[in-house]
Amino acid sequence: MRFVSFRLAPRVLATTALLLIAAAPSQAQTRAETLRYVTGASVNTLDPNIPGSTRESFALSMSTYDRLVAFGRKQLNGKWVFDLDKITGELAESYDVSPDGLKLTFRLRKDAKFQDGSPVTAEDVKWSLDRCVTAPILGKAQLLTGSLTSADQFKVIDPLTIEVTLPKPDKLALPNLATVYPMIINSKLAKQHATADDPWATAWLKENTAGSGAYMIETFKPGEQVIVKRNEAWNRGSPGKPAFFKRVIIQSVPEPATRANLVERGDADLVVDLQASDVQSLEAKGKLKVISTPQYNSITFVSMNNQIPPFDNVNVRRAIAFALPYDDMFKAALFGRGAPLYGASWPDGKPLNGIYPFQQPVKLDLDKAREYLKAAGLPEGFSTTFSFNVGQASTAEPMAALVKESLGKIGIKVDIQKLPDAQMSTQINEKKLPFFTEGIVAWLPSTDYFYRNFYTGNQRWNYSSINNPDLAAIAQEARFEPDKAKYEEDGRKLNAMHADLMPQIMLWQPNQDAVMASSIEGYTYEFHRQVDYRDVSRK
Amino acid sequence: MMTGLGATMVRAGRRLLSSLPALFGVLVFTFLLMRVLPGDPAVFFASGPNAGKEEIEQIRKQMGLDKSVPEQLVFYLSDIGRGNLGRSMMTGQPVLKDLRERLPASLELTFTALLMALIAAVPLGVVAALRPGSIVDHGVRLFCALGVCVPTFVSGLLLIYVFYYLFGLAPDPTGRIDVFTSLPPQHTGFLSIDFLLAGDIEGWWTACRQLILPAVTMALFVIAPLARITRASMLVSLGSDFVRTARSVGLSWRKVVVTYALRNAILPVITIAGIVFSTMLGANVLVEKVFSWPGVASYALDALLSSDYAPVQGFVLLMAGIFVLVNLVVDICYGIADPRVSIG
Repeated sequence: MRFVSFRLAPRVLATTALLLIAAAPSQAQTRAETLRYVTGASVNTLDPNIPGSTRESFALSMSTYDRLVAFGRKQLNGKWVFDLDKITGELAESYDVSPDGLKLTFRLRKDAKFQDGSPVTAEDVKWSLDRCVTAPILGKAQLLTGSLTSADQFKVIDPLTIEVTLPKPDKLALPNLATVYPMIINSKLAKQHATADDPWATAWLKENTAGSGAYMIETFKPGEQVIVKRNEAWNRGSPGKPAFFKRVIIQSVPEPATRANLVERGDADLVVDLQASDVQSLEAKGKLKVISTPQYNSITFVSMNNQIPPFDNVNVRRAIAFALPYDDMFKAALFGRGAPLYGASWPDGKPLNGIYPFQQPVKLDLDKAREYLKAAGLPEGFSTTFSFNVGQASTAEPMAALVKESLGKIGIKVDIQKLPDAQMSTQINEKKLPFFTEGIVAWLPSTDYFYRNFYTGNQRWNYSSINNPDLAAIAQEARFEPDKAKYEEDGRKLNAMHADLMPQIMLWQPNQDAVMASSIEGYTYEFHRQVDYRDVSRK
Repeated sequence: MMTGLGATMVRAGRRLLSSLPALFGVLVFTFLLMRVLPGDPAVFFASGPNAGKEEIEQIRKQMGLDKSVPEQLVFYLSDIGRGNLGRSMMTGQPVLKDLRERLPASLELTFTALLMALIAAVPLGVVAALRPGSIVDHGVRLFCALGVCVPTFVSGLLLIYVFYYLFGLAPDPTGRIDVFTSLPPQHTGFLSIDFLLAGDIEGWWTACRQLILPAVTMALFVIAPLARITRASMLVSLGSDFVRTARSVGLSWRKVVVTYALRNAILPVITIAGIVFSTMLGANVLVEKVFSWPGVASYALDALLSSDYAPVQGFVLLMAGIFVLVNLVVDICYGIADPRVSIG
């Protein structure tokens, strides 16, 4: 009996193999001219302005629509990243900022056409920007951060010139126009699909594009894949040429191990959201190109609710800051793939500069932590819960275990709470979580922007619920500070306050690990943390 | 014969009608269940870099969550009455459209897997029952135990690792079809049928290759219950009087086993197959995830995790409907297998 089954086994295998191999895959079409990008998330709308849109939708809209201006790129430690300080024209051939900083004038390219062939005019630009600040869409809140709030601010000068006026000289007005939301829409086409209830055609634009971008939608299956084809008329690429790839396939593959397999076997060309462990092993094998860029506009931190006891006591927060096993957490969660934001030494006890995020002068020091606990009147410690969301479990779970272990040594008893994403965001919004880990991103990473959005007010993004009038005042002042030296001074003050008050504890900036076939070139880390398909090409 | 069939149809129709109250109960229950789950979907979906209170309110309004629960229920029921299952926040599409697009993918996978499982399980069960306690019997038991105790995401990843990653025999495990193959005109939504209808043999083969690994993964998982029930009922029927009689009058071995024993033993297998089918349809969520299969189960799971009410409610309703249908089909099959049984 045994012999039979042994002899049979290879035959069964061989038959299965034959069955699978019989027809060679039909990769006939121009594989070299196609980019296959796999991702865990999915594109759920063609208009990134729709509430609930995913990051994949943001990335897609960068390629299907143009904006007036775009970020340039620069090298950071030998890797290409977007450059916040270099704004170049996209639909605008050139732009001027008036000396008082109150007027921005954009002159449009004469040859720019929408994908249906009609020319891009200043009227279209005005309609699109009006939509962004008027319609109930995501762009409204974003443009607010650049003092762009009303349709009156956009004026058509002539068919190719548009003027934007600002109430105050705002550093973030121009960069805001390069972000995802203020895309320029073919207004004639969109208006044809507007209704009395929906004057800005939000319903139609969700499922259709009316842009002038480098790529046109071929098929759009929400939750599965989007295929786009090149717009041959688009010439805003680097040397006035269209984008490199003729087609781009953006495919949702939920299983991270499968994404890793696909790119390793050469079936997928590019992926940015692999598990850190997979990236490490792929890098070690050396067959693929791995570009790891610290996400310099994002931060992972441990937050404490500054209004809930005992975290309303500054000494408790300081104690926690000296009781976290930073190095172990960094290794366990990210395999060290990122830029740490702890362990700095401030020689004279003052911040080194005014840039946020900064490396904090904290490290694991349990004796110091115990001292702070004693100073807080809690020498015996206390009990609390540490929460994280399911979506981040792969990095947060090992982290949480280490936090629990380390805090246990100074008498703080921690219950780990793993919450479904929707529940976690609800509790954060209602300010109910005492102690948790989260990550934040800013598209326009300037010091005052970070402090205004994440450390002031009663909104959701003020995770630590810190309410410090001095900090809020400095952050607000810095926003319109034209003097660079003074701005830097404000930044230093804010950073010093952060290190002293310790509202939350910055941990690190995780890497964006882009893994790609060795033939792919030009990958750039973009502010939206996705791939801009216009950047890449194949050797 | 015609009157018999007609009567069956009438009774089947009555059975369907009588299941409406149950469906209604499911509808209301799921609705309430979704509302008492913690987590505010509006906050979740307003998670963009700058979504504040205003955006959250707007989404809440868009999802109809600004009204009281009884009001929401009335609106929901009247929507359902008009065939509107609401809109998914995740995909931005009407739920009905999503389900209609995704259901064929799940059905095709489940049918194929069930067919594979039956083809493997029935002979295994019969062989095991013919020699109870023998090495073959133990072998079958071991195989079944392995199949059922290895979770589908493990066996799925393992199959991918071996057949795709190591040997490159299977196509990449993403979706129902190679991304470079164009789809056939849609008739049934079952790619293996649509390609044949379009006369595209190459496309048909591409779709089938894509189907093999996930279907095998599913099949491995459900062979155990099917084989065990076949074995048990074969044992009963092999030991019964009519088989002994058939043997004693000298009928051929094949005739005894297949015609007399198996025909009688197959009834419980049909029942179990029906139940297995319904559970598979919902339970293949992990297989759908691992193979990026665009089916309804993974869709419902994503929706549940993000508290997207409409798709979850739609999915549960769909499953309840399918369960009612499957039960009916099982009963009809019963009638065919054993004419003494009629559906009432």
